Amino acid sequence: MSTKIMKMPPRTFQDLILALQRYWAEQGCVLLQPYDMEVGAGTFHTATFLRAIGPEPWNAAYVQPSRRPTDGRYGDNPFRLQHYYQFQVVMKPSPIDFIDRYLGSLTALGIDPLTHDIRLVEDNWESPTLGAWGLGWEIWLNGMEVTQFTYFQQAGGLDCRPVMGEITYGLERLAMYLQGVESVYDLLWTAGPAGRVTYGDVYHQNEVEQSTFNFEQADAPSLFAEFDQREMNCRALLDVSLPLPAYEQTLKASHVFNLLDARKAISVTERQRYILRVRALARGVASAYYASREAQGFPMLRQP
Amino acid sequence: MTQHDFLVEIGCEELPPKSLVALAEAFRDAVVTGLDGAGLSHDDALAYCTPRRLAVLVGKVIDRQPEQRVERRGPPVSAAFDAAGKPTRAATAFAESCGVKVDELTRINDARGEFLFCRTTRAGEQASKLLPGIVQKALDALPIARRMRWGAGTVQFVRPVHWVVMLHGDQVVPAEILGLQAGRMTRGHRFHARKPIALRSPGGYLAALSKGHVLADFEARRDRIRAGALAAAEAEGGVAVIDPAVLDEVTSLTEWPVPLAGHFDPRFLDLPPEVLVATLQDHQRYFPVRSKNGKLLPRFIAVANIESKGPPQVRAGNERVVRPRLVDAAFFYAADRKSTLASRREALASVTFQAQLGSLADKSARITALAAQIARVAGQDPEAAQRAAELAKCDLVTAMVGEFPELQGIMGRYYALNDGEPEGVADAIAEQYLPRFAGDALPATGAGLALAVADKLDTLVGIFAIGQKPTGTKDPYGLRRSALGVLRILIETGIGLDLRELIRSALDSVRADLARLEGKQPPEDLVAEIYDYMMERLRTWYLEGGHSITTEMFDAVLDTRPVSPLDFDDRLRALASFLRLPDAASLIAANKRIANILRKAGEQPSPRVDPGLLADSNERQLATEVETLRQDVERLVTARQYAAALTRLASLRPAVDAFFDHVLVMAEDVRVRANRLALLGALQRLFLHIANLSRLPG
Repeated sequence: MSTKIMKMPPRTFQDLILALQRYWAEQGCVLLQPYDMEVGAGTFHTATFLRAIGPEPWNAAYVQPSRRPTDGRYGDNPFRLQHYYQFQVVMKPSPIDFIDRYLGSLTALGIDPLTHDIRLVEDNWESPTLGAWGLGWEIWLNGMEVTQFTYFQQAGGLDCRPVMGEITYGLERLAMYLQGVESVYDLLWTAGPAGRVTYGDVYHQNEVEQSTFNFEQADAPSLFAEFDQREMNCRALLDVSLPLPAYEQTLKASHVFNLLDARKAISVTERQRYILRVRALARGVASAYYASREAQGFPMLRQP
Repeated sequence: MTQHDFLVEIGCEELPPKSLVALAEAFRDAVVTGLDGAGLSHDDALAYCTPRRLAVLVGKVIDRQPEQRVERRGPPVSAAFDAAGKPTRAATAFAESCGVKVDELTRINDARGEFLFCRTTRAGEQASKLLPGIVQKALDALPIARRMRWGAGTVQFVRPVHWVVMLHGDQVVPAEILGLQAGRMTRGHRFHARKPIALRSPGGYLAALSKGHVLADFEARRDRIRAGALAAAEAEGGVAVIDPAVLDEVTSLTEWPVPLAGHFDPRFLDLPPEVLVATLQDHQRYFPVRSKNGKLLPRFIAVANIESKGPPQVRAGNERVVRPRLVDAAFFYAADRKSTLASRREALASVTFQAQLGSLADKSARITALAAQIARVAGQDPEAAQRAAELAKCDLVTAMVGEFPELQGIMGRYYALNDGEPEGVADAIAEQYLPRFAGDALPATGAGLALAVADKLDTLVGIFAIGQKPTGTKDPYGLRRSALGVLRILIETGIGLDLRELIRSALDSVRADLARLEGKQPPEDLVAEIYDYMMERLRTWYLEGGHSITTEMFDAVLDTRPVSPLDFDDRLRALASFLRLPDAASLIAANKRIANILRKAGEQPSPRVDPGLLADSNERQLATEVETLRQDVERLVTARQYAAALTRLASLRPAVDAFFDHVLVMAEDVRVRANRLALLGALQRLFLHIANLSRLPG
């Protein structure tokens, strides 16, 4: 058997991001930056949700800071955060060797598939707020979920043709595994000429303060008012065929809903109604976006 | 005729583990149906499946179909020939399509008129021409919950398809299946065998895959996992706890299973064992390990899908995953116990049970009343039942059940004990969800039994009341299971509760809540509808349960509308043993005859037999025996000794036979006739105390 020299695992959090960016850039992905608004997951970035719609090809990779107010633990829990990072890869149409490419990324991170037990375990994905669903897996690395892998079937209520494949790495989990640390706050973010900086140095105070805000300080009445306002704005923008600004209003409404949820200001029955209201906006945006691309003759189809 | 083994393998990205076996078996069955339909004789068919493949291997599939008889109806004769008797275009076209000349066609004359008809034989098709269609049809019919698309293609399947193997003997069957050209190249293990593997013939399939680190036979793989897990646990000084469902799932998740043991911190053994099992088994698909005396050990068996170059890394990785989960569980357990269950009752008001049926607090109130009532009637402690019902749903708002929904009830028991609730109350809370599946245990305590019946009936009756009873395969609230759970408890624990009365009580509470919540009121006759629904579930249970009960036997008892399911069961058992008596057949025939006669006579027979009008000695004999037996049978029926009653009734046979042999029921004398009908009515009533024998096949 030939001995292949495995890459060394990235030593720091930022090395991990750099390694993934380099790998997926080599696969032909557009390297993007995070969407500059509060979102619950990388899927909400226009580079995934809107690009999943319509016939145009699209390949992109980016880091997306994600906010889940209800997951906040005031910086006390070594695994749970209300603000964390996803590394998102989308390829459309999904290449037939998409799984192999993903496994290649693990090898690029120094994870030898003949040493580690890498498993694809069925986990189908559905986003009630985005009116989107897909089939796929969570990827287990020695029993730990490190990635979500999805073939989009619908987005905003529209069939995805062709299908976009989506890979979402949980960066903190993966880094904790690679660095062998027990607490996310102990992750080494960087260790350079200017010294060592940990994840805790960067984010611990933010977790404490934002958890306090999410659970205790967020003002429910004004958030309810804001939700209504965002919904109204979105509809008005859809009326004048501006899907991208309308989508940002949808994102705002979705985040406001998440904050209200964290404040436990929404009863179980009401919760469903709010989800449906956001979904209605997402559907409206999806149709409007499709129409706008169609009106331009689906420009990205013209590429050689 | 020559014959060769046939192999079809569909290579996929990782298939859903819970439906893998069902898909493989459906694929095999459909291929067999297709072969049979095409007249391609064959030997046994075997299904193989792994996460990355579905395969069917059929022995000795014949190379060519037998000669086929072709029968086709052509145009009507009136349109087939012109005025000059020459064949029209319609006739020549039909003949052409049959591959014969017009004068070789025959005619058929039937209700539809006279038509040209072609009756020929055609040489059988080669199997290789038919197999692609058979496979395609089988794949189209697979029970796939959601088919998916991938890439830019339009093909749909369970998961993206990467290769298709089709071999008949050593020949590739030329075909395009699911957008791919069939060939002889399969793939081995995703990591151990990076290169495709050429299959020479179907017979070498298992061996070739085994070389590629794939154990394609599901049973063999399952056996290897079971043995490996037991051995690994043994090495740790314990016994692996192997849940069959988990074993199947792990078998569906691996192509080359390698069990290995892991450890966790013994301090987590302070958690309830169910929490440890849920974490290890349900969330991670590990096998927990017990010591020889049954206590959990701080060990687990994980099943990797790789013969790792560094097993310690795989073990350490799996141990790392368990740790945060157990830390979380320990945190929830500590946090939950800081508040009493009783203090959580308020929170139930903000959790919806069902939009129209109100909150969990509403449901709790309903089942509290019902459980206490059931306990009282069943001679159990109503206070324990009532307390248990009040607290029953409180664990649903604890952090632990939020994280591990499968621990509902079980956590309630631990928390109740922690709060100092009586043990009977705590046990009842745990037992409320029993039985959870076919063959599951039943509640062992009186309060648990009352609560379990109340909870299920409330759901069943409530969902019926809002018009969402199960239809076809749709049963989102699991009402079939609820109905059967109630029936099993009422029958197997031997408490003879009046089912209609229970339904009525449950419905009264639901009606009151619907009124309060300003919902629509259900129709008046709902009690009967729910009762009938439950009886149909009961029928299915008897028919499928290997109780040697037939649907006619069930109907015979159902006709007597037994008050309680327990009474139903008693009657059915008595009937089953009666049917083994030599006199049974004759008495069934007599009952049928009586039913017929009484039906034809139209009128209700008089309830009294007038001894003065009994003319024939045979009818006098029968009347005497019926009268003597009546008191015996009524006494036995009151004591619910149905088997004894039927045995007594069996002694009537000679008298009944003699009556029908010698006595004309429809006598000319109206009064004699009426009296004879009255006698038969009395006889029928005796049997109807237990079952309607006229329902049984004669």
